[in-house]
Amino acid sequence: MNRRSLSGAATASVVPVALVLVGLFVQGPYYLHLFIIIMMNVVLASSLRLINLSGQLSLAHGGLVTLGAYAAALLVMRLGLSSWLALLGAAVLSGIVSCLVGFPFTRLKGIYFTMVSVFFVQIIVLTVQQWRSLTGGASGLYGIPRPDGFWGLEFKSKTSFFFLMLALMLVSLGIMWAIEHSRVGMTFRGIQQTDSLAESVGINTTTYKVLAFSIGGFFAGLVGGFYAQYVSALDPTAFGFLFTIYILIYMIVGGAGTFVGPILGATLLTVLPEVARPLKSYMPFVFAAILMLIIFLMPEGLVGLPQRLRKLFIREPGGRSDVAG
Amino acid sequence: MLLSLSNVSVYYGSAMAVAGIDLSVEEGRIVSVIGANGAGKSTILKAINGLVPIRSGSIEFDGRRIDGSPTDAVVKAGIACVPESRKLFPYMSVESNLKLGAYLRKDKQGIAEDLERVFQLFPRLKERLRQRAGSLSGGEQQMLAIGRALMSKPRLLLMDEPSLGLAPIVIDTLADTIIEINRGGVSVLLVEQNAGLVSRVAQWCYVIEVGALVLEGDIKEMMSNDSVRRAFLG
Repeated sequence: MNRRSLSGAATASVVPVALVLVGLFVQGPYYLHLFIIIMMNVVLASSLRLINLSGQLSLAHGGLVTLGAYAAALLVMRLGLSSWLALLGAAVLSGIVSCLVGFPFTRLKGIYFTMVSVFFVQIIVLTVQQWRSLTGGASGLYGIPRPDGFWGLEFKSKTSFFFLMLALMLVSLGIMWAIEHSRVGMTFRGIQQTDSLAESVGINTTTYKVLAFSIGGFFAGLVGGFYAQYVSALDPTAFGFLFTIYILIYMIVGGAGTFVGPILGATLLTVLPEVARPLKSYMPFVFAAILMLIIFLMPEGLVGLPQRLRKLFIREPGGRSDVAG
Repeated sequence: MLLSLSNVSVYYGSAMAVAGIDLSVEEGRIVSVIGANGAGKSTILKAINGLVPIRSGSIEFDGRRIDGSPTDAVVKAGIACVPESRKLFPYMSVESNLKLGAYLRKDKQGIAEDLERVFQLFPRLKERLRQRAGSLSGGEQQMLAIGRALMSKPRLLLMDEPSLGLAPIVIDTLADTIIEINRGGVSVLLVEQNAGLVSRVAQWCYVIEVGALVLEGDIKEMMSNDSVRRAFLG
């Protein structure tokens, strides 16, 4: 137990250092862009897992990213807010919207919750497409201002956005880690494992389900806001249903049971379409195949791979620890 | 009276589950509700717990009405529940399960004391503190479910068929446990099918059939009355 948390702490400190080195020495815009997208997906998959931690499978993420992206853009372009305030505003707005729709949504359980969360994505995307006067409609939104510089830092180069996203990712993951290991996180887990019992011990399950959904929405909005300022152009269909499903696949393939799972899944599956370029148009099939393989062969996700390999080569006596009853 | 239900009815949609039941638990006693499957026993407990709404009547605990209150308020008022089939948080440790039982309490000192009390009652749980709850045996899971309920420091403990699926010898220990908990000052409302367990622990007993009370009285007298025993207690 102690050795594991120690090696976890080691990994947790090595990865950011490695990423800083990447940002300092990698110059190619292509690779920097890839790393930025990876880090965005890491935050999205991790925040989806946070919602999942409270026993709810949400597919609302695409809608919340869209919401955050347009909010960040429009707060600057229409209301003249500073870009940093707009970025925070995008996250807060997505969080608030999640909270508001969360109350009716979380009344529904299981698949019904998941279904309304899908409709939510469609409603957001359609609203953005139809509300032409505000959002530019189907043709999208262009010329979104880049973040303002401060302390002599300029946000124009890929490198600068790489470091911005790195900072956002580390802070987001840090917050999510802290939440998961707090009393609130334990409450989420309780609800996830035995909903009715959680209620019996006096947990207000609705409050906590809405809370999880809102926190997830906050981070989805943050990533959306970052994306708007980074790419400086928005397409209303960019973060639709398929995008949401990809986030879900990152989480499941990596392993929804652990904190590292979605990080691993998002990283590998964002890189995969790049290294397998010739297959790019078949990617949805490839993803589906990977998903099915994982579900059947490694239900705990890629995080379980080392242990499985170890079991394959070293026979441990009595290594079973199944749930009884 | 610690708990009293008067004329309580519960419906699931249009289906009646409990029809105008009067029932009460005096402070310090062990009272039992006995009846067959589907008689509405669990529904009564759920109604007390605020997990299902009641359609008529009232539920009072310690002189205050609790029907219509959310479950967390009921727990706070001093009612804890050991749900049917000993529900636990299966992927959490024994320790976490117990701590979640004290979810609404803030008094760290008191929680630590009650944890010790639970370990005195069930030394086995102390040995398995770090083990996952789902990996315990049936009897141990039942201990944990009871221990978890006690961690909220209840005045009234609701138990929903604790004997279900336990070996006869484990049921004997269970009876001793219930009596010991009661001696510690906790009143108990025990819902059961197992007349043997009820007769060992309960001082007063209600018999229900398809949602209605058909008989109430001293369990030992009921057991000694042949016709009653054959008709209701199996």
